[in-house]
Amino acid sequence: MKNALLRPIRTLGVLLALATAPALVIATPSQAEELQGGTMHVGVLADMTNFDPMQFSTVNFPLIKNLYDSLIEYTPEGEAIPSLATDWTIAEDHMSVSVTLREGVKFHSGAVLTSADIAATLAKATDPKKGKNVYSTMAIVKDWTTPDDKTVVINFKAATPDRQMLDLLQFVMPIEAAGIETVETVPAGTGAYKLDSRAVGQNIVLTANEDYWRENEPILGEVRFTIFSDDASASAALESGGLEMVYGGAARSAVRLQDAGYQVIRGPGPLVQVFRINATKAPFDNAKFRQAFNYLLDREGILRVGYAGLGEVVALPWAPASPAFDASYTEKYAFNPDKARELFTESGLSKAEMEDWKLLVYGTDAASTTISQIVQAALADLDINIELDVREGSEYVEAQLSGDYKATFGGVGNVQKFPSRVSTNSIYRTANNPVLKDPHPFPEYVAAIERVNTTLGPDEAVKAAYDHLNQVLVESSFAIPTNSYEIGLIVASPKLSGFTLDIDNLLVARTIGFKE
Amino acid sequence: MNRAWNSTLWLLSGLMARPASAAALLFLAAMVIVSLFADLLPIDPFAQRLTDALKGPSAANWFGTDELGRDIFARVIYGARTSLSTAAAAVVIAASVGIPVGLVAGFFGDWRDTVLMRFIDVLLALPAILFAMALIAVLGRSQMAAFIAVGITGIPNFARITRARVLSLRKSDFVTAVEAFGGSSGYNMFRTILPNAWSPILVQVVVLCSVAILLEAALAFLGVGVAPPTPSWGEMLRTGKSYLYEAPYYAVLPGVILTLTILSFDVIGRALASLLEDRHDAGGVQIERTAS
Repeated sequence: MKNALLRPIRTLGVLLALATAPALVIATPSQAEELQGGTMHVGVLADMTNFDPMQFSTVNFPLIKNLYDSLIEYTPEGEAIPSLATDWTIAEDHMSVSVTLREGVKFHSGAVLTSADIAATLAKATDPKKGKNVYSTMAIVKDWTTPDDKTVVINFKAATPDRQMLDLLQFVMPIEAAGIETVETVPAGTGAYKLDSRAVGQNIVLTANEDYWRENEPILGEVRFTIFSDDASASAALESGGLEMVYGGAARSAVRLQDAGYQVIRGPGPLVQVFRINATKAPFDNAKFRQAFNYLLDREGILRVGYAGLGEVVALPWAPASPAFDASYTEKYAFNPDKARELFTESGLSKAEMEDWKLLVYGTDAASTTISQIVQAALADLDINIELDVREGSEYVEAQLSGDYKATFGGVGNVQKFPSRVSTNSIYRTANNPVLKDPHPFPEYVAAIERVNTTLGPDEAVKAAYDHLNQVLVESSFAIPTNSYEIGLIVASPKLSGFTLDIDNLLVARTIGFKE
Repeated sequence: MNRAWNSTLWLLSGLMARPASAAALLFLAAMVIVSLFADLLPIDPFAQRLTDALKGPSAANWFGTDELGRDIFARVIYGARTSLSTAAAAVVIAASVGIPVGLVAGFFGDWRDTVLMRFIDVLLALPAILFAMALIAVLGRSQMAAFIAVGITGIPNFARITRARVLSLRKSDFVTAVEAFGGSSGYNMFRTILPNAWSPILVQVVVLCSVAILLEAALAFLGVGVAPPTPSWGEMLRTGKSYLYEAPYYAVLPGVILTLTILSFDVIGRALASLLEDRHDAGGVQIERTAS
C-alpha cells in the first residue's frame, strides 16, 4: 500500500522536484560515507520553548527531528517512506490503517519502542490540553488498538483519503510512554541526537545517540546551537567562522550570503503569508470590503520587499507544490487598486466606517512591519487612512491567538500537505476558531473542507472538491494569502554537506557532516 | 522684559563667541527650522516606491532610500520633528512639575521637604528606560505616551537642581528682606527666589533636551516608540540595523544626525554652564544628567 499513492501525491512530487531541484542538496548514502564527523556550530535566532514534539512551534524546529523520529517520513518529492514504521496498510474501506513498528529501536532512556508507546503518544495527541499542534490533526481519529508489541491499528471516524492518513502518520513522533508527563522538560524520543545540555537563552548542545537505529548515522558527534538575538549577528558569526550554519535566518541575509559563496538550502515546506481578517467585526463583516483586499494587496511587492523574493506569489493558502494549488487565481487576483476601489465603493460603507480599524502588526518580525506598511500605504492611496497597532512578542501572539484583532498578517503552515490540513491554522479552523468563533460564520467553507475530506475519488471528483474549496476561500475572503516564504532556511558553510530536506523544513542533522 | 531680552542676547553672544557652541547652536537652529517648515519642502517621508528600495545616496535621494523605497533624507527631517517635539514636551512636563516641587521642598524644609524629596528619590531610583517602557505599556504606544514617559523621568533632575539652588538662596539677605516687609511665601518663592535660580535650571533644560531625544530614540529602537510609518530616528536605527550589510547608509546617516543633535545640546549645555558660572560668582551652576 505504501507504493499506492494517489495521483496528487505523484504530482506533488514532480512539482516539488522541479521547483526545488536547483537549490537542493540531498544526502545520499555514498555522500554520507565520505563525510566526516565532528562538532557543528549552528546559529538560531530564538530559544526553544520545550522538548514536546507536539508543540510544533517554529522555535522548536531545530530540535524536533533530531530528538525524535516520525512514524513515517516524506521525501522532498512527497513520497511516503518508512521511518519508525516499516510498513503500513490502509484498509479497503479507508476506515483504518495498520502500522508495523521497526524492530530494535530504542528511546534515549534505553527502553525499546513498542506499540504501547504509540498508544500513549496518540492518547496525548487526542487530549485537548496536551495534544497541542497535533490535536486538530487527530480529529479524524476514532480510536486505536495494539494487537501486539509491534502493531498499531488506527481507526477513523469516516472513510479517509490516503494522503490524510499518511499526513497523520508523518505528524506523529513517538514519545516514550514513561516520559509523556515530563516531555516538556526531558526529551523522550528515539532521535539521532540526545540532549547534552541547555543554557536557557544561550545555547543547546546535542550529542550523538550511539544506539541510533539508522546505520552510519548520525555522522556528527555533537551539534551546538547558539541563540542569537538578531540575524545580522548570526550572519556575522557564520562569516567569521564561528558557526558552520545559520538555521531559520532572514531570506535577505541568505540571498547576500549565497552570493558570497555560502550554501542556501531551501526546503519543500514553506509557509504562506496570509492577511487574516476578523470577518465578525466591522467593517470586515462587509463581504465587498473584505473582497477588495484580494486586489489591494501588492503581492509582488510584499514578496520582494518582505522576503527578498524567496518564495512565490499566491492567492490561495497553498504552496505551489500542493495538489490544490491553482495558478489561475494568482493571475485573476493580481494587484489592481482600481478594482479594489470599485469594491470599496460597492461595499456601501462610509469613509469613517472604512477607517474604523487598526492593522495589528507583529513588531518583533521586521517583515510583518514592512508588509503592513505596504498595505497601509495602498489604502492611503485610496484615501482610506488607518493606523498600525504594533505589538511586540507575547503581546502580539496573545492577540493573534485569541482573535483580538480586526486584521493582521500571519504565516500558515501545512500548505504542501493534504489540503484540509490548512484548517490546523487558527484562522482556517472549522471549529473552535479563535477569530471567527462558533458557529463558524462561513458554513460554506466548513462544508467545502468536509467535501475535500470525504471525496476519495475518482480524480475528477477530488479535483472538483479542491476547486470548490478554492472558490469558497476567495469569495469568503476571511483570509487572503499573499505569498509563500521560506521557513527554516539553512545557510551553511561550504564545508558542510549531506543535507536531508524535511517536508516541514525542520532541521535534520543526522546526515550532515564535514567534507574532507 | 527688557532684562530678559538683554540676558538672552548676552547668552547668545556668549555662545556665538565660542566656536564649538556657535557651531552647535547653528546646527540646532537649522534642525529646528527645517523640522518646523518641513511641510514646505518638496519631500515626502511616506511615499513608497517599492522598486527603488534600498538605493544608495543620489541626487534624487540624498541619504538613499529605505526598504520601502522611501526617501531617508525626508524621514530624517520629519524624524527631527518627532524627536524635537518629544524633547520639548518632555521638558515642559518635567519642568512644570519638578521646579515647583524643588521650590516648595527647598523653601519650607520640614516635613514637606522630606515627603517631596523621598518621592523624588523613588522616581530617581527607577531606571529611566524601564520606567518609560512600563508607562508606555500602560498608556499605549504613541508620541504622547513617549513624551509623558520621558517627561516624568526628567522630573527628579529639575526638582533636585531647583531645591539645591533654593537652599543656597533661602537665607540670602534679599529673601530675608522681602519676608521682613511681609512678602508671602508664594511671592518669595516665585517672585524673589525663582528669578535668581534660573541659571542652573536653564542649563538643565538644555541637558534634558538631549536626554529626552536619546530616550525617545532608545524607546523607538526597542520598538515601543512612535508607531510606523511616523518617522523617528530611533525607529530608523532599529530597522536600518537589519540592512547594515546591504545599505549601511540607512542606519548610519540617521545615527550621525542623532549623534550630532545630542552632541550639540551637550556642547551648548556646557557652554551655558560655563558662561553662567562666570557671571554668578555665588552658587555656581550644577549640571545634573542621568544616563538613559
